[in-house]
Amino acid sequence: MRPLSLTFNVYFAFVRKSFQRRMQYRVANLAGLTTNFFFLLVHIFVYTAFYAASTEPQPLSLNEIVTYFVLCQVSFMLMPFWGARSEVTQAIKDGSVALQLTKPVDFHAYWFSDECGRACYFLLMRGCPTFLISILFFEVTIPQQFTVFMAFAVSMVLAIFMSAAITITIFSSAFWTLDTSGVSGMSGSVIMLFSGMLVPIALWPEWLAHIAEWLPFAGLIDVPFSIYLGKITGVAIWMAIGKQLMWYLIFIGLGRFFLHRGFSRLVIQGG
Amino acid sequence: MIEVENLSKTFKVYHHRKGFFGSFVNLFSRKHRIVEAVDNVSFSIKRGEVVGYLGPNGAGKSTTLKMLTGILVPTSGSVRVNGYIPHRQRKENAKHIGVVFGQRSHLWFDLPVQESFELLQRIYRIPQVQYNQNVEMFDGLLNIGEFFRTPVRQLSLGQRMRADIAAALLHDPEVLFLDEPTIGLDVVAKARIRQFIQQINTERQVTVVLTTHDLDDVEKLCKRVILIDKARLCFDGELAALRRLLSTERILSVDYAETYSDISIPNAHVTYREGNRVQYQFSPEEISTADLIGAILQRFKIVDISVQDPDIEELIKTVYEDNRALEQKLTETTAIDLTNRDT
Repeated sequence: MRPLSLTFNVYFAFVRKSFQRRMQYRVANLAGLTTNFFFLLVHIFVYTAFYAASTEPQPLSLNEIVTYFVLCQVSFMLMPFWGARSEVTQAIKDGSVALQLTKPVDFHAYWFSDECGRACYFLLMRGCPTFLISILFFEVTIPQQFTVFMAFAVSMVLAIFMSAAITITIFSSAFWTLDTSGVSGMSGSVIMLFSGMLVPIALWPEWLAHIAEWLPFAGLIDVPFSIYLGKITGVAIWMAIGKQLMWYLIFIGLGRFFLHRGFSRLVIQGG
Repeated sequence: MIEVENLSKTFKVYHHRKGFFGSFVNLFSRKHRIVEAVDNVSFSIKRGEVVGYLGPNGAGKSTTLKMLTGILVPTSGSVRVNGYIPHRQRKENAKHIGVVFGQRSHLWFDLPVQESFELLQRIYRIPQVQYNQNVEMFDGLLNIGEFFRTPVRQLSLGQRMRADIAAALLHDPEVLFLDEPTIGLDVVAKARIRQFIQQINTERQVTVVLTTHDLDDVEKLCKRVILIDKARLCFDGELAALRRLLSTERILSVDYAETYSDISIPNAHVTYREGNRVQYQFSPEEISTADLIGAILQRFKIVDISVQDPDIEELIKTVYEDNRALEQKLTETTAIDLTNRDT
């Protein structure tokens, strides 16, 4: 067995190169940034109108709602709403993914590293600018306690890991369906809804919120941002993070299983 | 180095019904037929050999190569490469082989060549000294330096192929599998790649298995060829032997100084005539080249004369077209060998 540090070294290199690769598409990123603000404004306008029309007390203040949606746009590109990315599905579709079998790497780990590199890139090049510009124009709350911030950081990292694991699980369906646009589209909308990306789960009717609680996707958006806003506190933070960790491990397992099955299908039946 | 025994691979091919209604029926019941892609193929390749693995499109070349590299699991039979069973010991096998599929790059599309190489260095855990030596050597032979910092997507096909071949050899593999390494390249680029393969083979004793449709590749690189057609092995031996076996007919081209009305020569027939240029086809068994030239010089004045070996392309075509003729010839030659031995 090779030492763990060296193995880590390889996959860390994958993360770095994945980041580097994306650095080449800077104009596309700028265009994406504009889109982020467009959606941010839509969300903020809609909620401002709602709040103005209602006199009832709401579980989240308007400020908190704005902060929530700023954070949504910051992490928008890190989330598995996009389903399978075309380069990977294309390779699976035409069978050329099999060529990668000629390299001594673990595929799940390879793609996971790639997804992490992608997340780092979008966090730095899209998330940070979105956040910084938003602070200038909107009233964004910032956690006052260091512990809250730390808990948020841990939860956010887990959310990114979950996202990477979910993405791989989704695109491994390409081994069977050949065309992933259906699966991607469907999973994308389900995940977007149940993560709390469109409406914070705190505002949902109780029965629907219960369903969301049993699904993994709140761990992507609603959980870390609720921690950030101080809506989850004390022991509940540990519970929430524990749940994220559990779902993360489950998706890693599922993804590995599907990839393994997919590749064996490929090597037995051919491309 | 490479041992292949009774290797077979069958695929299920689904039959799609025609028409609108048929596409609904397809959802519920699918018929399939079994296609033999590789049928009972055996061969063994020793260290340091360069073998051309040839056959027409769809003959099963790539399928065999995929089984040797661990991409496909054989239906039956056994494969061993460097002592590893490729589809069972995929990662181990992968460390000792280099693979280039001409139609596809193994490099990271949007990274500079150098970055791809550095990733490979990590993947194969190549020590820095060895990595530097190899990069230097490949730069010397393939001029990789001139595009080392260019992203792969901006490379020309020739550059990309050079980079890909160098990348496949960075970790000093014992065996190099090349699937159409010169496809789509110009003459200069082809020559460069051939020379490189040759050098790697002689200097490092790298075993090379090569599939190609370019018979110049074969002629320049391979002493030995394996032909397969319709999934079956139909020839395995030296290229020279293949040529001897099949090249009974030769061609002699002559440019006459004057126009002659009767240019017939016994035992040779005219296959082409335009102005003063004439081509004769003859069989060395009936008349030797020297005798034929002698007979011509005796009767006519000539400007130029040349003898052509038949194209190996032609040879291989005959093999594909008429497998039986080859088999017959093979048995005949062995029969002759036996009779010779008796006397």
